[in-house]
Amino acid sequence: MSTWKDKLPPMGTLGPFLALLGACAFFATQSQNFLTGGNLSLILQQVMVVGVIAIGQTLVILTAGIDLSCGMVMALGGIVMTKFATDLGLPPALAVLCGVGVTTLFGLVNGLLVTRVKLPPFIVTLGTLNIAFAITQLYSNSQTVTDLPPSMTALGNTFSVGGTEVAFGALLMLALYVLAWFVLRETAAGRHVYAVGNNAEATRLVGIPTQRVLLMVYVIAGLFYGIASLLSVARTGVGDPNAGQTENLDAITAVVLGGTSLFGGRGVILGSLVGALIVGVFRNGLTLMGVSSIYQVLVTGILVILAVATDQLSRKGGR
Amino acid sequence: MSTPELVMQARGLVKRYGQVTALDGADFELRAGEILAVIGDNGAGKSSLIKCLSGATVPDEGEILLDGRPVRFRTPIDARHAGIETVYQDLAVAPAMSISENLFLGREMRRPGFLGQVLRMLDKKRMLQESIARMQDLKVGIRSMTQAVETLSGGQRQCVAVARAAAFAQHVVIMDEPTAALGVKEGNMVLELIRRVRDKGLPVVLISHNMPHVFEVADRIHVARLGKRCAVLNPKKISMSDTVAVMTGAMPPGQIPAEYLAH
Repeated sequence: MSTWKDKLPPMGTLGPFLALLGACAFFATQSQNFLTGGNLSLILQQVMVVGVIAIGQTLVILTAGIDLSCGMVMALGGIVMTKFATDLGLPPALAVLCGVGVTTLFGLVNGLLVTRVKLPPFIVTLGTLNIAFAITQLYSNSQTVTDLPPSMTALGNTFSVGGTEVAFGALLMLALYVLAWFVLRETAAGRHVYAVGNNAEATRLVGIPTQRVLLMVYVIAGLFYGIASLLSVARTGVGDPNAGQTENLDAITAVVLGGTSLFGGRGVILGSLVGALIVGVFRNGLTLMGVSSIYQVLVTGILVILAVATDQLSRKGGR
Repeated sequence: MSTPELVMQARGLVKRYGQVTALDGADFELRAGEILAVIGDNGAGKSSLIKCLSGATVPDEGEILLDGRPVRFRTPIDARHAGIETVYQDLAVAPAMSISENLFLGREMRRPGFLGQVLRMLDKKRMLQESIARMQDLKVGIRSMTQAVETLSGGQRQCVAVARAAAFAQHVVIMDEPTAALGVKEGNMVLELIRRVRDKGLPVVLISHNMPHVFEVADRIHVARLGKRCAVLNPKKISMSDTVAVMTGAMPPGQIPAEYLAH
């Protein structure tokens, strides 16, 4: 017998939406510039890089892992693709492919260290975070890469919807979310990601190659970081060796705010999009209110702890 | 009366762990349509025997036959492919996933045609219907197959694990202490389910420390002792205390009265 209560999405799914609406309502009362088409489109543009990184991060966290290297790997990908296009003179498409290849390779290294050497994901990705950062600085000489071919920044271009400019990159982000949502929800491969995070041993015993599932998750996460590299390059118009430093923690914040459990096996990918939007809305709204950026960092920190505390309490209490 | 058909057989299994010989030429016979309890003190070679049968370990010597044909399992997955399903005591389910998803974990059904073959979409509706049918078949009274397993009691969760094994086993269901983590009422629920699995025609190997449970459901009792099979007892004739005596060695195999032995 199913009642109307069973039909409602659980609080873990609904909560982030309510938080986003609440934040929007609050900032709308604080600044008349907040609820304008231009500003909302700006938020979407500011969120697209974090949003795409958060897809990869969600996959990793669903398996009860964590990827601290995401932002730095993204920055390295951006430097590789811009340097290859300018210094080496590769065709832009090939240069982009190389950049995405490097981030995917980092995902593979993370995955192999986690599955073959059995190291904890926290330590592995803390290591690769620093390695990716160092390579980025060394290879770029800590210099911003400029004079990019225009086709590399095409995703930063906008088109007009009823007078509001929307970036192509934001559309790409939304499309990637729909794709990830479909795979996680409707295919066996996606359900196996949840199963590994839920009970890895039970999953192995029913005959699912759990190590291969884990490895693929890290590789695919690396692929998403590569796409985020391209979006970052497109949005800023340069290859920035200092990119990814806020995105690194913002992506984890977005996933956790979106209701995905750090203990693995629970969460909805679209929640991460909502989580990324929450982070974006807070950054944007506080800026409009004239609050200094240090306070924005403070607020983000408080948000993460609140979200993790909610996750922890709901696991102990309701279940 | 003809001899009952043997579904699974093992001859002269030996398993050594360094200096320790866990199995020292153990034999094993499982007949069609029976519940065979396997009992033994700690270190009697009970769990090594079961690990060999379920593919969790590879024996050093000896052979295992399934339906008369020799088989070699290197992993539990090999055993599963051969039609042997194992239920573990520690409730091996994915708690946040639904009952239906748990039943079909690793054996998902895909939609027919383009949606299934190209987009690889799952046929959730069919899996749900199948789950309902299989659970009804085993008379497991759970209302909704879409509810998360973590909303169930321990006994109900174990019923899900047993139902999964029963639904997919072609030859044998092995249950390793399925009632150990459960309370009295919950344990009885699982015992009842084990009987239904047997009545459907699947032979069951039940490993248990719980003598009342063993006596309640077993058709024959395999006693493991010192790495060998020391006797196969008939629970309808022998008492519980004599069984314990055989298990501990207080009653040596040569002194067991003939009517206590299972034929």
